[in-house]
Amino acid sequence: MSDEADYQSIRFDRSGQAEAFDAIGDRYDEAFPHKEGQLSAGEWLIDSLPAGSRVLDLGCGTGVPTTRQMTDAGFEVVGVDLSRRMVQLARGYVPAATFHQLDIADLRPGGPHDLGRFDAVAAFFSLLMLPRVEIPLALRTVRHLLVPGGLFVLSMVEADVDNYAIPFLGNTIRVSGYLLEDLHKVIEAGGFEIVKEAAYTYAPAIADVPPEEQVFLCCRRHD
Amino acid sequence: MTEHPTPQGPRVTRTPQPTPSHGRRAGGMGSQSQDPVPDSPQDPVPDGPPERGPDRGGEQTDPLQTDRLQYLDVATRRIARGMDLDETLRELRRAAVPAFADAIIVHLHDPLPVGDEKSAAPVVLQLHSVSRKPQAPQASPSPLLKTHPLHSDIAERVRPDAAGRLSKLLLAGRPAFGDAPGIAPAVAELLGPLASAPEAIPPGRRLIIAPLHGRRHVMGTVVLLRRSDRTPFTRDDLLVASQLATHTAIGVQKAVMYGHEASVADTLQHTMLPSSLPEPTGIRLASRYLPASKTAQVGGDWYDAIPLPGSRVALIVGDVMGHSMTSAAIMGQLRTIVQTLAGLDLPPDEVLHHLDEQAQRLGSDHIATCLYAIYDPISHRLLIANAGHPPAVLLHADGHGEVLRVPPAAPIGVGGVDFESVEMHAPTGATLLLYTDGLVESRETDVGTGVEALRTSLRTVADGHSAPSLELLCDHILGAMVPGSRDDDIALLTARFEGFPPDSVGYWHLDPHPLTAGQARRLTRRALRRWDLESMLDSTELMVSEVVTNAVRFASRPIALRLLRTDVLRCEVTDDSSQVPRMRQAQPGDEGGRGLFLVDQLAQRWGATRLSTGKVVWFEQQIPKKPPKEPSKEPKK
Repeated sequence: MSDEADYQSIRFDRSGQAEAFDAIGDRYDEAFPHKEGQLSAGEWLIDSLPAGSRVLDLGCGTGVPTTRQMTDAGFEVVGVDLSRRMVQLARGYVPAATFHQLDIADLRPGGPHDLGRFDAVAAFFSLLMLPRVEIPLALRTVRHLLVPGGLFVLSMVEADVDNYAIPFLGNTIRVSGYLLEDLHKVIEAGGFEIVKEAAYTYAPAIADVPPEEQVFLCCRRHD
Repeated sequence: MTEHPTPQGPRVTRTPQPTPSHGRRAGGMGSQSQDPVPDSPQDPVPDGPPERGPDRGGEQTDPLQTDRLQYLDVATRRIARGMDLDETLRELRRAAVPAFADAIIVHLHDPLPVGDEKSAAPVVLQLHSVSRKPQAPQASPSPLLKTHPLHSDIAERVRPDAAGRLSKLLLAGRPAFGDAPGIAPAVAELLGPLASAPEAIPPGRRLIIAPLHGRRHVMGTVVLLRRSDRTPFTRDDLLVASQLATHTAIGVQKAVMYGHEASVADTLQHTMLPSSLPEPTGIRLASRYLPASKTAQVGGDWYDAIPLPGSRVALIVGDVMGHSMTSAAIMGQLRTIVQTLAGLDLPPDEVLHHLDEQAQRLGSDHIATCLYAIYDPISHRLLIANAGHPPAVLLHADGHGEVLRVPPAAPIGVGGVDFESVEMHAPTGATLLLYTDGLVESRETDVGTGVEALRTSLRTVADGHSAPSLELLCDHILGAMVPGSRDDDIALLTARFEGFPPDSVGYWHLDPHPLTAGQARRLTRRALRRWDLESMLDSTELMVSEVVTNAVRFASRPIALRLLRTDVLRCEVTDDSSQVPRMRQAQPGDEGGRGLFLVDQLAQRWGATRLSTGKVVWFEQQIPKKPPKEPSKEPKK
């Protein structure tokens, strides 16, 4: 079964997701001010990649901190986000990077947009915005975007939910998650080897978002 | 008043009133011609009833009677005006001395009887007060009439012999002259050995003893004395004394009832305030309540602290307008409503919204202000909504007092108000001060000035100690802000944010399905291992499994499992079904129901709370005092 066939069998429903982030804008960074976990996963990329590497920040948000961190490290960075407002903010915050307002599904093998191949892909808290059924497909897309042996860092919130509507910074978004053991299986099944893992309990600086279990995985494309 | 004129005697001349207890005294024993109208209309002080002097011998009887009536009219009005015991008796003394007598000695039943109940306890009379006219140089040698020392020469406590003359007199309830048959022993019994000293009792009818008799009880006695150089009492004077005593007794009884009512109201109010504050983790609390100075001024101030799921705490201060038993009663009802709403874990603006609705159902004219805050020690956030209440002040660790800008919407009871919750950072080490207007507002000071004064006083307390204890802080604030006499009651609630690091928390959303309980067990195991709480693994896993199994049976959306490690291990399972489980002994063959029985056996505390969005079932276990290894307190990030 080809990726194309799989994607065709799914009815995409992104309604409200991008709009929520359009509305949230800068408040996202205010609610999640501490990004040590994300930064240290970024450090792993910087330590592992030669200068001038091409890096894709998938679900880049405002570009802070990861797009900026990668750009500052001297990489050629492309940022992608579904939210128009986020891409706008990111262009302002990280002028040195290139940004596209795109859906990850647009980047699938044979999809409408080809951004070329990357030495690394970062996807921090972005795959969780997909329904579970799409996540293996998204992993295949990431694998497709990477050069052989390319690096993949991602973060998820540990939860056993699928397309679950939650209140989020005054909006409603739908999120999916896996428990740690299940996440391992999904990532490995997607053709990645998990090199490093870190988990944190994170308390957002906002009263209506409960604390969450954040998982950061540093992976390598398994060839 | 049908009495005949008093026998002639020397006139007593007007005397200035240096005695402190006569501060407002003006006028005196002047004849009608000298001083026809006693005092100004605003502050009438009675002249004495006319004593027949040589210069008045030719006058008609009628004006004398009129004078007597005038005197009584003013005197009884003033006695009736007294609101408390001391005031009533002060007016009696002012009316009596020097206008009617040269000395007055008041004894009161101790304790004063309240209501109509008969007391089996023996009567005890306690000396209440003495007033004397300053002594003239040629004064009589009576120790009872000596101006100094004031009290020390009269017996303080008297236990009348049940069969003695004094008891008889008290029961009879009528005033009597000191020289009447059988009265001298009664006077001696009341006044003690002094009364039997030579010349203690001035000769002739110069002593009247009048029982103070209430509706059912003896309230006390009044002894009136005239010096030997003054004209003796007449039989008319006995009636005057009787009137004074009757009105005084009514006044005393009224004051007692009034004091009793005030103490009932006071008790009512205190019963409605928290008897103790909860001691949740992540926050420290201290409170003060000061009633208004005037005893009968019951206030409607209240405060509360209510633990919420997730170790959050609701902090509340409120003030029902008015000072009456009704204010206190309404306060009690509002406080209960707030507790109920808080239990539903509603955001502050919604709590105030529903409180407003409920308050209108209590009556149309009950207005209250209320400030509702939720502190979250994990996210270090504070959520506040305000219904017309003075602003909360956040005392930062450096001594800076920040007035929290929360839109002060209209008060509770107005209706149709749009309340707004404002969220802000709640830094660890900062102290939230919630108070009622009595702290910052008085007849002389508006709220704005008062709040500034509060901030200034906070700076000084922080200068001395880097972090004063909350008890100290409360005392300091009240010491700096509260004058001796208060028009209003004051409630003060202080909350110091201690917070706790996110790594003492575990939080997961779990889809409800047959495997959820197993997943919850695994997550629990992982968290407890991370926290070095292996010794608690078995019991915790078992309870988590039971509670989650229960939740999964009713949930239609993902449930939430939350683990909190402080000095206790707290587990909370939230689901979207509002059906709150009840513990019951499982019957053979029962599938469910055992779960909570088990939790009840194993947990130190547990509970199930209905929320606006479903329910939370929680349980706590004490963490063993000395874990094998001290877990890191620092967040890992």
